[in-house]
Amino acid sequence: MRLIYDLPKPLHDEVARRLADERILYCVPSDLSPNGEFAQGFVIVTCSRLLLTDHERVTLEVKLTQASDFKAVTHVGSAILEAVVDGTPTILARYSMTYVPQYAQIARAITRLQEGEEPKAREEADSRECPRCGRIYPEGSTVCPTCLNKFAVLKRLLQTARPHWPLMALAVVLFWAITVLRLLVPAIYRVLIDNYLEPGLREPVKILLLVGAIGAANLAMTGLGIARSRVMVLAGGRLARDLRALVYGKLQALSLGYLDSRKTGDLMNRVTRDTETVQRFIQGQSTAIINESLLVLGVAIVLFASNWRLALMVIVPMPLVLFAVQRMREWIRLIFRHQWRMYDKANSTLQDILSGIRVVKAFGQESREVARFKSASRELAAVTEKNEKTWSTLFPTMGFILGLGQFLVLYFGGRLVLREELQLGQMVQFTQYAGMLYGPLRSMSFIPRWFAEAMTSTERIFEIADEEPDVKDTKDPIHHRIVGRVTFENVTFGYHEYEPVLEGIDVDIQPGEMIGLVGHSGAGKSTLINLVMRLYDVDEGRILIDGIDIRDISQQALRSQIGAVLQETFLFQGSILDNIRYAKPDASLDEVIRAAKIANAHDFIMRFPDGYDTLVGERGQRLSGGERQRIAIARALLHDPRILILDEATSSVDTETEQQIQEALARLVKNRTTIAIAHRLSTLRNADRIMVIDKGRRAELGTHEELLRAKGIYYRLVMEQRKLSRVQAVEG
Amino acid sequence: MDRITHPATRRSLDEYAQIRYLDPSECCFKKTEGGFLSLSIGEKEQYERVDLVRAFPLSDSDSYISVRDSEGNEIGMLESLSRFSDSTRRLLEEELGRRYFTPVIEKIRSIEEEFGYSYWDVDTSAGQRRFTVRRGHNNLVQLGGRRVLVIDVDGNRFEIEDYTSIDSRYSRLIESLL
Repeated sequence: MRLIYDLPKPLHDEVARRLADERILYCVPSDLSPNGEFAQGFVIVTCSRLLLTDHERVTLEVKLTQASDFKAVTHVGSAILEAVVDGTPTILARYSMTYVPQYAQIARAITRLQEGEEPKAREEADSRECPRCGRIYPEGSTVCPTCLNKFAVLKRLLQTARPHWPLMALAVVLFWAITVLRLLVPAIYRVLIDNYLEPGLREPVKILLLVGAIGAANLAMTGLGIARSRVMVLAGGRLARDLRALVYGKLQALSLGYLDSRKTGDLMNRVTRDTETVQRFIQGQSTAIINESLLVLGVAIVLFASNWRLALMVIVPMPLVLFAVQRMREWIRLIFRHQWRMYDKANSTLQDILSGIRVVKAFGQESREVARFKSASRELAAVTEKNEKTWSTLFPTMGFILGLGQFLVLYFGGRLVLREELQLGQMVQFTQYAGMLYGPLRSMSFIPRWFAEAMTSTERIFEIADEEPDVKDTKDPIHHRIVGRVTFENVTFGYHEYEPVLEGIDVDIQPGEMIGLVGHSGAGKSTLINLVMRLYDVDEGRILIDGIDIRDISQQALRSQIGAVLQETFLFQGSILDNIRYAKPDASLDEVIRAAKIANAHDFIMRFPDGYDTLVGERGQRLSGGERQRIAIARALLHDPRILILDEATSSVDTETEQQIQEALARLVKNRTTIAIAHRLSTLRNADRIMVIDKGRRAELGTHEELLRAKGIYYRLVMEQRKLSRVQAVEG
Repeated sequence: MDRITHPATRRSLDEYAQIRYLDPSECCFKKTEGGFLSLSIGEKEQYERVDLVRAFPLSDSDSYISVRDSEGNEIGMLESLSRFSDSTRRLLEEELGRRYFTPVIEKIRSIEEEFGYSYWDVDTSAGQRRFTVRRGHNNLVQLGGRRVLVIDVDGNRFEIEDYTSIDSRYSRLIESLL
């Protein structure tokens, strides 16, 4: 994120004069004028003051001592920087959504400055725009398809494909062979026509031989073509497999911080779609590219060598034809995209209706929904009809234009033949070559896009492969056997540098102690837990386990001794047995049943016809929330962690189930250091101490009784929940 | 948290459904020195700063406007802007225009498409602007009829009043993006 932008010349001089040697911390555009026009003003922040400008001069200067309560407030489509200046709430600057992140940081930074902290503005490199051309990167990527050095990527792709080089070399040989054969055939025609197909000349054997040669060449081309396709499919498939393994392996190694910053769908895309694009490129498109370019090159050489004037006639209209084809293709692309979107719309309408069928029926709206679908599908039909009509006109027209060059050759060549300046066979050969030249044009216009797409995908794959995990083991990590003391020392952390989620957290958790985390959603409870698991590294301060900084403990050793029962109980595809055994695959069946019994899960599992072999997950038995949680508890029990993390373990279950879960949890937390998050305070009744987190800071810490007596945040939360449960009791 | 109204304090449904429409003749909106809006209702109620929030920003932008105090609590609603005097209405419209900044695209200089993004260069009611729109993801929303809302990668909003008549060169492209 850019924090210091360049000022235009006159403005720069004025600001420099005013500030003398004061350092500029921020200089960010405010691109809307007070009356809502796009403008080119700036907001400039130093340690002591704020300068506001329009596009040519400073319009207002505010000393940090005369203002307070700086806030960046985002509205719809634009935002403002406001503050209380000399006691009056004032709009200082307006800006578009483009600069929202910058101003959020500015407002925070000013507040920190006013609290007497040192300025620590820092540009982060996570730009969404390509610094070279200013275009936005494709979603979740930092590869600019326009500026990408595609040949460098191609080179690297070929390096990666090294094991498959023999296969690819074979393909290249086949390509050459096919091209030579294709160029040869018209030459044989010429010989046939000019030398043997003359009235009066009787050489049936020679004619038969030549015709046979043409046939043989065609046969060989077919055979070689088949061989080539097979070789390419093999090479593409194997390369794609290698790339997929590369990306997938890397993804597992990367920290959650990295994975969180990208959308899951985007990562899935890298594994599946990008590798598929590369595969398609190697298998099909690259074949076409090599094939056609070799052919065009060969044909051009042969044409010019035999008759340069005719050759020119073939070449000259080519750019025109290319242009026409390009325009038509653009048109076709747009109308079919429109059709595709209409199709999507009709589809999602149908899906909407079907998945909401209960609601539709409950409100008796069947006929309206039928009408809705009918209208969507009627729209689709109309668009399709229109497009097909256009298509059926355009396609033959395109074919005609592509054939234009041949007409020219036919006409001018014919004249030359009549004037006996050219032999008939030569002309036939010429028309055939010309045809070969115009045919590839059809696919040639695709080549730049194919190439760009394939290379962008390749680069996106390499981008992940090159990523360095930001949570790394030290050189010599300790394989520590955890006792259970967890200490936070002045821990500060934020997912972004400018936005701390936790600030200055201090707490010392004794071995075997259960500590409950309480606070509003977004207060930082889950973040704190993520830090204990070392899914992220702290920004400031440190976290110690038994007095050892967790950054010195091997990640594998650390996580194998931390167990988590998380908010969303995730069960993998497979049986209940597999799921309970997940963290300890070698656990005996006896151990599994014991764990399930402690977790109060045994009895409901035994009620399933397939017992512990019952399949769960997407396609398996449907389990209730309470059942899933108890399986997760059994899983955690079997894992036997030294440190246990509970995140809102009971929610939306009936009282009896909750009791069973509570029981199971009480057994689970026994003798283990436990950090538990709960929105329901009843979940925390077993907690030794409770820590209240408010706006990222430790607000209260103590036992249930102590905190009640203190009448602070915790007290108010308890009172509110009591009232609420009383109401539920009355209404329920 | 303190402000949660508990169902325990029983009130009738009618009371919950009550909308307080502010009487245009009693309301006095003023622009403050700092650029915000203040409101006094009758003699007694005074608010140094109020915010206006549209209930139907896309479908009916000039009706049902919630007036909120600086804490975000609803003071009341304006049923329709047309009920206010010209000067007050202009003031309200100005404030709403600031909170819902959506310049109208008057002329398209160019739209270029590349790799899933379209790059727009347009003249709007607020001046010339270039912006980038990601394909798909409802970034071009048809607002009934031929009105189109365009949302760029940063969340800036633009409106096209009639995409079929704005520029024949680009109407097909816009249509294909809807």
